[in-house]
Amino acid sequence: MTTTTQPPVSAAAPSSARREPWRVSVAGVRLVAGLELRQRVRSTKWKWALVSVAVLIGGITFLVWGANHAFGSDSGGDYGGPGDVVFGLVVFFVLFLGLVVSPTLSATSINGDVRDGTMAPLQATALSAADIVLGKLLASWAASLAFLAVALPFITIAYFDGRMPALAMLTVVLVLAIELLVVCAIGLGWSALTARTSASAVLTYTTVAVLVAVLPIIFGLLSVTFTEEVTVTSSYREYVYLDGPDPESAKPGDPRPAGVPDNAQQDEQGMYYVCRDNTYTSSMPRTDKLWWLLAVNPYVIVADSAPSPDWSPDGYYGDIGILSGLKQAVREARVGPSTSFDDCDYQVSYEEQQRRDRIDSLPAVWPWGLAVQALLAAGGVALGVRRLSVPYGKLPAGSRVA
Amino acid sequence: MSTSYPTKGSASSVMTIVTTTAPALEAHGVRRAFGAVQAVVNASLSVEPGSVTALIGPNGSGKTTLMLMLAGLLRPDGGDVRVGGLSPITSPKAARTAVGWMPDVLGTWDSLTCRETLVTFARAYGLSPADADARAFSLLERVHLADLAAQPARVLSRGQKQRLSLARALVNDPPVLILDEPASGLDPRSRVELRDLVRELGTEGKAVLVSSHVLAELDEMVDDAIFMSKGVTLGEAADAEVARARTRWRLVAVEGDLGAALAKASRDFTLEEVPQGTAAVVSVSGDADAAALVAALVGEGIKVARIAPVGSALEQAYLTMETERR
Repeated sequence: MTTTTQPPVSAAAPSSARREPWRVSVAGVRLVAGLELRQRVRSTKWKWALVSVAVLIGGITFLVWGANHAFGSDSGGDYGGPGDVVFGLVVFFVLFLGLVVSPTLSATSINGDVRDGTMAPLQATALSAADIVLGKLLASWAASLAFLAVALPFITIAYFDGRMPALAMLTVVLVLAIELLVVCAIGLGWSALTARTSASAVLTYTTVAVLVAVLPIIFGLLSVTFTEEVTVTSSYREYVYLDGPDPESAKPGDPRPAGVPDNAQQDEQGMYYVCRDNTYTSSMPRTDKLWWLLAVNPYVIVADSAPSPDWSPDGYYGDIGILSGLKQAVREARVGPSTSFDDCDYQVSYEEQQRRDRIDSLPAVWPWGLAVQALLAAGGVALGVRRLSVPYGKLPAGSRVA
Repeated sequence: MSTSYPTKGSASSVMTIVTTTAPALEAHGVRRAFGAVQAVVNASLSVEPGSVTALIGPNGSGKTTLMLMLAGLLRPDGGDVRVGGLSPITSPKAARTAVGWMPDVLGTWDSLTCRETLVTFARAYGLSPADADARAFSLLERVHLADLAAQPARVLSRGQKQRLSLARALVNDPPVLILDEPASGLDPRSRVELRDLVRELGTEGKAVLVSSHVLAELDEMVDDAIFMSKGVTLGEAADAEVARARTRWRLVAVEGDLGAALAKASRDFTLEEVPQGTAAVVSVSGDADAAALVAALVGEGIKVARIAPVGSALEQAYLTMETERR
């Protein structure tokens, strides 16, 4: 080896050194993931946790099924609609449980290891920060997927209770898995940002609560607060009152009694009426400008991504299930307030038909929501990598290296 | 190390000379602050391959912070660190993996066995599964944990965890070892084993930097000592103090006027009261000098009971400097 005098090193690292923590190796990620899983599988009462989750989901599935059938709605039957009530409720319960369970796995994984003194020796090895973070993410996701796997039989049972398309089963499970990954990544990000495990757990649950509950509440409040004056056209029936014979005794095909206008129509009872338009201004919520607040909601994403059963042509609003109902509601919100109400015609009015066509032609909401959540997840991972990159420049407040 | 092999002829002999003289671990004017606290103000040191150096200083003097910077975990605010010629700033991974670092904080994966822990770390350094297995096995033997190989780390005692941690630091067979308080929590037998192991590692050609509070142990372990106080490594003043401490021997005589005899031998000395006979701390330059002094004293009719160095030189130097700086 030669004794070339080393040039003095400035504090700024070259870009190759700055990129080093981001370099990912498959072997490294697998090693950390395996280590994490072994740590957890042996340290927690894992089997009991899974069994209790199974009992919980099983119980809820049974109750939902029983309640749904007790009300006489024969799901899957001709009058019960497509019947995703049981399926939707079970899927939402599994999502709820997943959102509760996943943070416990990842939200303490970085600051917990730092506190226990097991992080620094790992950082001192050839593993990059990205290896450690992705390994931890993979491990906590795998553990969440174990819960999902336990829930799978019950989702399947619920699926066969209704008439959802087969693709719905697949997408729902897939999107549930993605949601769990997102929550794991968010938890990882918070565990990188905070020194105390209790703080990161609380912040992770808060983030989930913001997505699930706070944003919809803000949506509700804003849509009440920010309304806009719009011109609404409503049409109603103006009945024609006749002194002549009882219209109920009139038979179809009878000549029109005198005094009935030419544009009058007959209703089911044979009464004559005229359609009258009424135009007025009303303050309407501008949900079309606020719908994105709902798009990042995990429940909306799951509901919106699941393919809906085929609509029966006559019962556009009749086929309300849980998933389809939520999907429809969000899309309604996206189109904005309806400015035309037709209480006159039997048929769907032109304006209403247009509105329905617009709703049907809307691109799906869930890719937007999932994209935002992916950004959150990527942010969590990036924070984790930055937190674990050595040598440390600035140390996070209240933490030490080892 | 940045290896650029010379292409022509007789340069190989130059190479070997250079290899033995280039320090494996170097720091020049290193400083580091945590917020308003200046943990390391100005630290310089250099550890040669095949030598063991002690890092000595009171609590809060910046030893651990300095070691973290040397191990490539903490970025210095200024100054230069070299590990095997590599800078932890420009090539973090290469510099990091050239070091075996044993932290002062004991962190173990409680659910993993000793063997799994070492295998995991070996894999983290890129060893193949088979090599990692073999490495874990030989290291467990080396730190006398082989019979606990299949035990989860949570059942280990503090001293056993300490030994596991030492094995962990050796898992990638690094040329540089940084041991932060390796002796704390060890029983006397384990301390002796640790001392022998550290010496062995030095003999194998590794550059070892070790910090400890048990200075008497260090005395027999190290070739060199670096004192640190309030974030500053004390250079020549400390070396002089250690050299002075090494010349201090205690002499006990059961009969005869020790003071007069020592004065006649023209030695620096201070007399001490002991229950039987008289004692004196004398300046002696080494074993041969001690023998000469004893011969001279016996010639004067003094009955010398024993003569030995006064305790640990490092401890004395440390205590002297502590009182000076107070």
